[in-house]
Amino acid sequence: MPRYGFVIDLKRCYGCYSCQVACKAANHTPQGIDWARCVPAETGKFPSSLRQMLPLVCQQCANPTCMEVCPTGATTQDENGIVHVDKNLCMGCKACMMACPYGARQSVEDWKTYFPDAEGGLDPYEAYAKEKWEEKNGYGMATKCDYCMDRVKEGRQPACVDTCPAKARYFGDLDDPESEISILIKREHGFQLNPEFGTDPSCYYLPPR
Amino acid sequence: MELKAQSKWRWLIAAYLFLAGLGGGAYVTGVVADFLGGEWVQISKIGVFLGFPCVAVGCLFLIADLGTPKNFWRAGMRPNTSWVARGTIIITTFMIVGVIHIGFWIWPFHALEDAVGARQVIGVLGTIFAVLTMIYTGILLGANRPIAFWSTAMVPLLFFVSALSTGIMAVMLIASARGGALTGQVEALARMDILLIIMEMFVLVFYLQATHRVPESRASAKLVLTGSVAPLFWVGVVILGLIVPIILELIGTFGMHGEGGAAISILASVSGLFGGLCLREVVLSGGILAPLRAGRFEFALPMV
Repeated sequence: MPRYGFVIDLKRCYGCYSCQVACKAANHTPQGIDWARCVPAETGKFPSSLRQMLPLVCQQCANPTCMEVCPTGATTQDENGIVHVDKNLCMGCKACMMACPYGARQSVEDWKTYFPDAEGGLDPYEAYAKEKWEEKNGYGMATKCDYCMDRVKEGRQPACVDTCPAKARYFGDLDDPESEISILIKREHGFQLNPEFGTDPSCYYLPPR
Repeated sequence: MELKAQSKWRWLIAAYLFLAGLGGGAYVTGVVADFLGGEWVQISKIGVFLGFPCVAVGCLFLIADLGTPKNFWRAGMRPNTSWVARGTIIITTFMIVGVIHIGFWIWPFHALEDAVGARQVIGVLGTIFAVLTMIYTGILLGANRPIAFWSTAMVPLLFFVSALSTGIMAVMLIASARGGALTGQVEALARMDILLIIMEMFVLVFYLQATHRVPESRASAKLVLTGSVAPLFWVGVVILGLIVPIILELIGTFGMHGEGGAAISILASVSGLFGGLCLREVVLSGGILAPLRAGRFEFALPMV
């Protein structure tokens, strides 16, 4: 069984937000939910200041704190490391959103249209997206990234990896020492975000410049 | 980098944490009073009678906060790791014991009126779960490792002391409002509450002092002491929750008695109870998630 993982190269990312948009298109997420997203930060003082983007996805931790605090049993982890929320079991207590150090858990109360001034309700594309969203997810419940498991099962890459124009994102098997991501982590000193929380994320980052 | 406080758990959860603590505290006050006997049994009835309804109303606030309330009954499914689940079991047990205690002593049945021993056994059992209820409301927040402002043993202690204090104040409020014979008991409760408020002041100072270790908890302390939460903290918690009740209780204990004394103890209790609610909201709205670190950069999480 593979353990699916990500490598995100921080020195390659230039913050175009393509991953955020691709995720939205692939997973039909409503307004207010971004499973893949980019967070900016700055350091230093002008004129010697630097700006860096941090692309975030669910870290699919080996020891997920979201699963630890989930009281209902709605959160489960597959053998391949992917953490899921069952829409029929979640009660929306938001405990996981407080416990996840990476902000991977998000929820919305309702579908807010992108075109509030349009007449005649949702246009067919948005209506389709809403329908697809409600198949696996819902409102009030916790939702999260699952590394596009539907695409991976078809032999494709997660949408954000496919779309990244800087080639800053890699997807693969952490358990296979010969995989591209395993080699990258070893050779380029890949690190996990905030290891002090003891979550052992499956998403590794290559150092910024 | 500007760190923002979480916005998902606010007044509804604060009301729940407050009422769960209040109910537990009032119940414990009632059980202890039962052991003192004599006139204290009247105080005991008030305390025991407050326990179950307060916690039950608190649970309604909790359910109102859920995103999909139809699944609320699943809340206790994973007690092996989840504090929400453990708390659900603790609180449910406390409510069951509380209902039995009320039902067979005060209303509708009176079987325990003369069976003092059985009543006290139930009381001790209920007290165990009442204490667990009061402490768990703090541990629930402490289970969130990325939020340093909550992830400390001071929060359960703070909530426990506040729960006992607000529980006593609720009993004082009802006893004074009913008027008449119980002034001696109310004054004794007020003296106890003065001690608890002094303790709560110390715990609060140590709590805020201990939160200066990491950037996110420094940001939390700043938010609470001088930021947007500061008015609620200084007016709600410090003035209305601690200073006003302690001054009024000191006046009531050492100065005024009789009719004026009852009015003072009602005023002190209402003010202190409101302060207890504000304390929960202040702790909740001070919760800030740790920034993510990569190299020299620190990234603040948006929209949590």
